[in-house]
Amino acid sequence: MSLEKITNPLSARHWMGDMEADYVYTLGVAGERFFKEIKENGRIMGAKCPLCNIVFVPPRMYCEKCFEKLEEWVDVGRKGVIHTFTIATIDVDGSKLKKPVIFALIKFEGAHGGLIHKIGKTDKARIGMKVEAILRPPKERKASINDIEYFKPLE
Amino acid sequence: MSAKIKNYSGEVLETKDIKDGKVLTEKFRPKAKFAWSAGIAISRFLDELKNGNIIATTCSKCGRVMVPPRIYCEKCYGPTDGWTYVKDTGAINTYSVSFLAADATRLKEPIIVAIINLDGASEGMGIIHRIGEVENWKEVKFGMKVKAVWKPSQQRTGAITDIKYFKPLKEEKP
Repeated sequence: MSLEKITNPLSARHWMGDMEADYVYTLGVAGERFFKEIKENGRIMGAKCPLCNIVFVPPRMYCEKCFEKLEEWVDVGRKGVIHTFTIATIDVDGSKLKKPVIFALIKFEGAHGGLIHKIGKTDKARIGMKVEAILRPPKERKASINDIEYFKPLE
Repeated sequence: MSAKIKNYSGEVLETKDIKDGKVLTEKFRPKAKFAWSAGIAISRFLDELKNGNIIATTCSKCGRVMVPPRIYCEKCYGPTDGWTYVKDTGAINTYSVSFLAADATRLKEPIIVAIINLDGASEGMGIIHRIGEVENWKEVKFGMKVKAVWKPSQQRTGAITDIKYFKPLKEEKP
């Protein structure tokens, strides 16, 4: 005996469970101001280091090169360039998406870093492609990354 | 904190600030579902509980009677090769008295949890369960004889809770 085999774990007695691994993430001082700028003023901002002359996007409180406190914020504009991209055919749970979604890292001129977002209005993306952020109407904005609906190709 | 530094820069946040929406937050619950399989031996053990029996596995090589049952003898490194019933009586091997509930709230009546060496099983083989029908937790002693108190058969579901608790076994006076 005892060598009976089962291949489906659900054919044995089993317990179903749900791990309540909730989390609450606070955006922090710089993150909060960044999203409020998008919500209230429709501006994508970067934080500039006066010593290194680097503009960080998304903005942070301190320069990661020289640790200087960053107090000067600059508008980097809504236009950027696709630095790299990927096409997703499944969602976060692994279910097949009806329509593939293009996700890209978008860099802004003169800025260090970039934003990861969806590319809309096209099914083709290319490295180096110029794109522009399409913001939701002010009333629909919630101070979240989704206040930018997607980035639209300019070509 | 260093003697020279009186205040660190940064924002102090309390749970209340987050609950009241003073700061922006992202809330998320991952779909972390799981199915835990009881395996061959424990599945049968639980099915037998439904019938009011406690079943063990045996190993003919070392002669041990193992409960809870397992399909592999950890002493002989081989599959176990028999099933046998053990009694629903036993002796307390070790116990713990908890004045805290599972959610860490204070309890007036403590929960007594014990490892019970079951009669008919090899030495040191037993199950963990609650001790009930004890007026004062100080009455509980190591080696105390106990007996399972079962739920009525129609209420049993094939779970360890088919045994409500173990109660002290009053020894018959000669």
